[in-house]
Amino acid sequence: MTSIDLQQARLFKWKKFATEGAGRLIIFLVGSIILWWLISAFLIERPDRYLPSPLSVVLSSADMLYKGSLISFYSDTLIRLVIGGAVGIAIGIPVGLALGLNRFVADMFYPLMNFFQSVSGIAIFPVIVIWFGNSDTTVLIVILYTSFFPIAFNVLSGVRSVPVRYIQAARTLGASRFQVVRDVLLPGAMPSIAVGTRLSIGFAWRAVIAGEMLAGRPGLGNMIFSGQEFDNTAQILLGMVMIGVTWIVLDHFLLRPLESDTIERWGLVQR
Amino acid sequence: MSGEAKLIIQDLCHHYPDEYTGESVHALEGINLQVYENEFVAIVGPSGCGKTTLLNIVAGLLPYREGRAMVDGNEIHGPGPDRGVVFQEHAILPWRSVARNIGHGLELQRVPKEETRRRVQEYIDLVGLSGFEDRYPHELSGGMKQRVAVARTLCADPVIMLMDEPFAAVDAQTRITLQDELNRIVMATAKTILFITHSVEEAAFLGDRCIVFSRRPGQIKTEIKIDIPREERVWKDMASNPKFTNARDEILRLVRQEVTSDDEH
Ligand SMILES: Nc1ncnc2c1ncn2[C@@H]1O[C@H](COP(=O)(O)OP(=O)(O)OP(=O)(O)O)[C@@H](O)[C@H]1O
Ligand SMILES: [Mg+2]
Repeated sequence: MTSIDLQQARLFKWKKFATEGAGRLIIFLVGSIILWWLISAFLIERPDRYLPSPLSVVLSSADMLYKGSLISFYSDTLIRLVIGGAVGIAIGIPVGLALGLNRFVADMFYPLMNFFQSVSGIAIFPVIVIWFGNSDTTVLIVILYTSFFPIAFNVLSGVRSVPVRYIQAARTLGASRFQVVRDVLLPGAMPSIAVGTRLSIGFAWRAVIAGEMLAGRPGLGNMIFSGQEFDNTAQILLGMVMIGVTWIVLDHFLLRPLESDTIERWGLVQR
Repeated sequence: MSGEAKLIIQDLCHHYPDEYTGESVHALEGINLQVYENEFVAIVGPSGCGKTTLLNIVAGLLPYREGRAMVDGNEIHGPGPDRGVVFQEHAILPWRSVARNIGHGLELQRVPKEETRRRVQEYIDLVGLSGFEDRYPHELSGGMKQRVAVARTLCADPVIMLMDEPFAAVDAQTRITLQDELNRIVMATAKTILFITHSVEEAAFLGDRCIVFSRRPGQIKTEIKIDIPREERVWKDMASNPKFTNARDEILRLVRQEVTSDDEH
């Protein structure tokens, strides 16, 4: 191999790293941190109060790690997110399916769902507190409630958007009603299920933070809130970064692969 | 025609209700038709004369009230695997590979995996899609998709195969190839087929019998026997085959009558 070949091979590897998957993500993160640091160092007058540098955020996290509080905040929040979001989605999918399948059920429940969809999780918060106090249950219910609607409505519209032709084709091949749901409606609704799942988890993520702040349960949300109380801007930024990075990682390693194995493979969406 | 009647239609009429005006569209009137075992019956007629309506009734996709329709002696109620349908287009499932689309019918009937695999391969080879087993529909051309649709229907082994303008959406060159192939497939599988088309040439080329519909309300105007052995039905020989050209010209004349009498309306 000549040196030019080698150079080109190296260049190619680098290009591949920069344009694909995790490589692109890493470059994006590193770039944002550098930009943040530049702004904090050169453009802000009292950075410790208004925009602490990445380094001071890292130091504050080291401090909290040392005390052990950071890990416990983070895991508390994640556990709430996973349980509340999973249950919300697990209820939302069959409800959306039932509404999409059956006119009668849809006519009965749709107005009710539509009503509650407009009443956000934060708006129901006070009444949940009255029922369950400032407890983890309260936070979980708010997350569940918030994540339920996006997935349910998306599954509903997804099922309705499946072309009648596909259903007829399956029926003439001998499919039962159940087999039509399994082989035609569910896969046909996959693009909407993917969108709904993404929205639901995104909504759940917001509900966790807001719920913790309002209910005063320990976690990332509460950590941000107390950061303001104690004028600890670095702690606030740390919380924000952890929220954002967790979301990006979740999206990148869980939702995206799920989509590329299904709807992209089937040519139902172009990326 | 030898053999027993696989499809029997007696005094079938159909009216579509119109929910908005309260009137109804009279689509079919007094249809009597029999399709015998191993027979290929082609239906031609002017647009909107009720061909698709008839096919949907036989497929079980459209309920009917007046007259009777029976397949293999059983009154038709809803769709079933004894009547396979090849639609004009957009009917194979995008989320199933070629092989899994073709094997779908067998999967639904819970045929054992090994037998399914064997039969699917047989039909993939029959329609010339070897090597494309694991492709998804969006990776195929229009002609290939229709081959998949035909193979899927045949693989489920229906009593009768119903085809509604299956080649109308592909280009002229591909259409000729697909028609030649369908002929070969009909010889190889000895299927009973009801085939709807706009194309007089297609009807004369493929049909053992060609039924000409009048304009709406669709009635059977005439039927024409096309007595050309399957082996002789190859497009490159058709121009010099008087049986073909005569049948084609006769059908064309009959269809023209229907279309031009439309003008008097
Ligand atoms: N769902 C429906 N509701 C009301 N009227 C309908 C419906 N489907 C078809 N029709 C009417 O019934 C008549 C026959 O329609 P059909 O689709 O069977 O015709 P066709 O012979 O298949 O026409 P083409 O050759 O154009 O496909 C037409 O006049 C059409 O407008
Ligand atoms: Mg039609």
